[in-house]
Amino acid sequence: MTLSDYLSVLFLLAGALFFLAGTVGLLRFPDVYTRLHALTKADNVGLGLIVIGLAMQAESFASVGKLLLIWLLVLLAGSSISHLIAKKALQKGVRMWRR
Amino acid sequence: MMNRIKKAPLSEHPSVFLGKGYFGLTILTRGILFSLIWWALTNGDLSSWVMGGPAVVLALIVSMLLIPPTSLVWSAGVKFVLFFMIRSLMGGIDVAWRAFHPRLPIEPDLIEYPLQLPPGVAQVVMVNTVSLLPGTLSAELNDSVLKVHVLDGRSDVKSELMVVEKHVRRLFGLEGS
Repeated sequence: MTLSDYLSVLFLLAGALFFLAGTVGLLRFPDVYTRLHALTKADNVGLGLIVIGLAMQAESFASVGKLLLIWLLVLLAGSSISHLIAKKALQKGVRMWRR
Repeated sequence: MMNRIKKAPLSEHPSVFLGKGYFGLTILTRGILFSLIWWALTNGDLSSWVMGGPAVVLALIVSMLLIPPTSLVWSAGVKFVLFFMIRSLMGGIDVAWRAFHPRLPIEPDLIEYPLQLPPGVAQVVMVNTVSLLPGTLSAELNDSVLKVHVLDGRSDVKSELMVVEKHVRRLFGLEGS
């Protein structure tokens, strides 16, 4: 294995850890709003790290571009959809959890 | 029926005083962007441009109809991207730490933040950015007042939001840097 292979493994594992954190948050957080926090933010970072790890193994600049495109689209979709879900929940009067 | 959409006077729209050359520049930059996307999607396969050419032109037409030419300050754009990368990484680390912590250290709150930004693309950029920054989630936008769900009410969210808004203002050339 070369140095870039080791770095790839490092980034992929770190990414997986953030996906795990997002899922743990989804299960442990008490209401819809806090769960949205966990999913959008942790998954965004997790995917970003996985994209970096994969880009190091890419065979062409075009596939690096494709990976970046996937990340950007997920960013956009994640933040727009979490906004829409939170908005609908507020309008329907879903109570937010308070300590 | 009342027309409830408030539009800024035309004279205030940046593209007006930038003139017609600006329209051409927008078409050029967007055209290059869409061509790059097609190139990446097809791994640079030349024969694919039979489809790619018309697809780029169609995307260009649709984008000009949906998002009218907006002036962006490129140097501010670079700063905005750097700011966003660092802060969104912090956002991920922050929420991951809270999710794994045995005592679940969260204290949710809902705050209202009046936006200074003009309605339109600038506000959309702001709303989408806020959701990916540490501890904040854009919950609702009504008449330029943004409701933000906060994961930890003890943190200083307002000053963070002001920094984000300043970045967006500079990005759209609404404020000198």
